[in-house]
Amino acid sequence: MIKARRNIGFHLLLKSRFWVIFLFIALLFAIRWTKGAGYLDFYSILLKPILPGTAQREWIKEGENIERSMRLKLLEEDNIRLRKALSLKQLNSDQRISAAVISRSSRNWWQLLEINKGAKDGVLKGQTVIGPGGLIGLVDSTTPLTSRVRLLTDPGHQVGAWIDRTKQHGILTGMGTNRPKLIFFNKKPLVKIGDVVTTSPASTLLPPNLTIGIIQFVDAQALPSPYAIVQLTASPEAIDWVQILKNNG
Amino acid sequence: MAKNKKKLLIFFTLVCLPAFLIISPDWLKINGITPCWPVIVLLPFSLKNCRWRSIIASILLGFFIDSFTITNASYIPSLFLLSLVWSQYGLHNKKIELFLNIGLMAIFGAAFVGLSIWAQKIFIYSSLRNNWFHSWSIYILISEAIITGLVAPFFSSWLLLAYEKN
Repeated sequence: MIKARRNIGFHLLLKSRFWVIFLFIALLFAIRWTKGAGYLDFYSILLKPILPGTAQREWIKEGENIERSMRLKLLEEDNIRLRKALSLKQLNSDQRISAAVISRSSRNWWQLLEINKGAKDGVLKGQTVIGPGGLIGLVDSTTPLTSRVRLLTDPGHQVGAWIDRTKQHGILTGMGTNRPKLIFFNKKPLVKIGDVVTTSPASTLLPPNLTIGIIQFVDAQALPSPYAIVQLTASPEAIDWVQILKNNG
Repeated sequence: MAKNKKKLLIFFTLVCLPAFLIISPDWLKINGITPCWPVIVLLPFSLKNCRWRSIIASILLGFFIDSFTITNASYIPSLFLLSLVWSQYGLHNKKIELFLNIGLMAIFGAAFVGLSIWAQKIFIYSSLRNNWFHSWSIYILISEAIITGLVAPFFSSWLLLAYEKN
C-alpha cells in the first residue's frame, strides 16, 4: 500500500503538464511579487525607439522660451507702467540704432571705438552704447556719419553704477585695464565677489538696469573709500556691432 | 624728382598717417598697442629742419593727432620738447645710414610722449592715482616704445631720405 502511494507521487512529478502548471503559477507569483517589473521593463525597451527624441526636446525648449519671452514682455510692460508712475527714465527697446565698429583702439592711452552711425542717424553726444553682454561706453563725439565711443575702460571715464543685491551706488572708473574700479560712497559696502553691477534704476543720465559686469575683487578697508574691481560682461575687443540707445541723449 | 618726393611726403603725412591711426592694422601692433605715429613722422622732419620749423611742425602735428583722441591729455607738449631736442641734435653731416640710431631715438621719443600723457592723465583725473592705473600705463609705455622702435627704422629713415632728396 505504501509502495503504491510512492509510485503515485513520483508519477505526478514526471508528467509534463504538472511542470507547465507549476511554472505558470510560479510566473504569476513572480509577476505579482515584482509588481509587473518584467512587463514594464519589456514595455520600456519596446518603446525606446519611439520615445521623445532631440526634436521633441527642442519643441519643449522652444515652448519654454516662448513662455519666458511672453512673461518678459508682460514684466517689461509692467515695469514701464510703474516707471511712468514714478516718473523715472525708461529703457525703450524700439529706440535703438545698430552700428558697426569701424575702428578700435581698446588698449591704448585712449580707449575708444569708432562706429559707422553719426549725427545724421540721430546719434548724440552722451548716448549710451551697448553690446552683447551689456553697457560698453558712451558716445563722446559725433560726425555726420560716424561716432566716437569712449569705453568704460578708458582711464578716468566715470559712470554711476548700482549693485542690486545691496542696493548701493558707486562710481565706476576706467583704469585702462579690462577691469574698471567701482568706488563706493558708503564706508561699509557689504558687497561680495560675484555681485552683479548694473546701471542705477533711478539714473537720470543712463538707461536703467543695464548690465555692466560682475564684482571680482573687493577692498572694503581701502582709504579714502572702499572699492571693488569689476569684470565687464561685454568685451569691447571682441564686439563688431553695437547698439546706441537714443532715449538718454 | 624733387616734386615727386614732395608729393610723397604730403601723401604720407595727410593720407597714410590718419589711415594708420584710424585703421590701426593688427600686423603693426604689439600686445594690441600701435606705434607712436607722431614720433615716427616728427623725427625725420626735426632732424632735417631748423628749430623753428620743427617747433611749428610739432604743434601742428600735435593738433592733428589730438583730433583722433578723446580730448583730455594732449600730444602737443611732448612733441614740442622732442622737436626742440631733435632739431638741436640734427644731422650736422652725420651719416644717415645710422639705422639703429633712428630706432633708438624713436624709442626714447615714444617713451617721452607716453610719460607725458601718463602724467597729464594723473594730473587731470585724481581717481587714477593708484596702482591699477600705473601698472597699465607701464605696460602701454613699454609696448609702445618697443613697437615704435621696430617700425621707426623703416618709416622714419625712408621719410628722412625723402626730406634729404627734397
